[in-house]
Amino acid sequence: CAGAPRGAGRGIEGWAKKGSLSQKPALLLELCAVSQHGDRSRVASLRLFLPKPGLCLAGPARRFPVAAVEEILRDVLGSALRERRYEPGPCLEAAKDIAEVIKARVKALAVPRYKIVVVAHIGQLGGQSLQISSRCLWDPKSDTFSSCVFKNTSLFAVANVYGVYFE
Amino acid sequence: MEEFHPHNDEMIFNADEAHNIVKECIENVLGKADYNHNKVNQWTAAIVEQSLTHLVKLGKTYKYIVTCAVMQRSGAGLHTASSCFWDTTTDGTCTVRWENRTMNCIVNVFAVAIIL
Repeated sequence: CAGAPRGAGRGIEGWAKKGSLSQKPALLLELCAVSQHGDRSRVASLRLFLPKPGLCLAGPARRFPVAAVEEILRDVLGSALRERRYEPGPCLEAAKDIAEVIKARVKALAVPRYKIVVVAHIGQLGGQSLQISSRCLWDPKSDTFSSCVFKNTSLFAVANVYGVYFE
Repeated sequence: MEEFHPHNDEMIFNADEAHNIVKECIENVLGKADYNHNKVNQWTAAIVEQSLTHLVKLGKTYKYIVTCAVMQRSGAGLHTASSCFWDTTTDGTCTVRWENRTMNCIVNVFAVAIIL
């Protein structure tokens, strides 16, 4: 369960107006793709010009702790699902609970000015094929994500946490 | 480098608009196709990239996260849940579920406002 191959993100380029306003202060958002090998690469970019010329964007004092969040994901998924068999009703509740617990534990890390989005998938191991991809238009200097996959004999689970800096 | 001047004063995420955009992107990519393991990678990439392109064209100052899951229909179950810590007055989410005879597709859009 991963992103698309490198270089696949050409679709977003070429639509916007171009100008010679490179002197004005701007926020640069970039479209980031994640390859199947976990590498992060920039595939396109978008510059938003700030309406207030004096406004300064200093960036985060403390960055989103990717490794600490990955540890949280491993811990939550493992403890919730290790001995579990897939059952439609209980796994539906488990997915919601897992997302809430992950959010609460990441919030407890108290990283200032970061908004958090948690997505959790739980599925039955039935020999079917599945692909999960995501793309983000954000500022890669401040925004990032953590991801974890869990599997036992009966089910699999994928949890992604996206940390978005509040500009 | 693409350049854009934000003009929108209302910072409320329009979930219906995003729903229509994403549904159209899924139809364009998956349409009448049957599940194909060799193509699913480029399908999911195309869906998320086209969705992002159209969302950006709305001209709102948002950061977007778009997630797409495409699963072969075999009777196996799949549950997706999300939980967000953000400003509920400006940020929002939209989920689109789509299916045909051979596959299921779930697309989530999360929009996080940039206050300039």
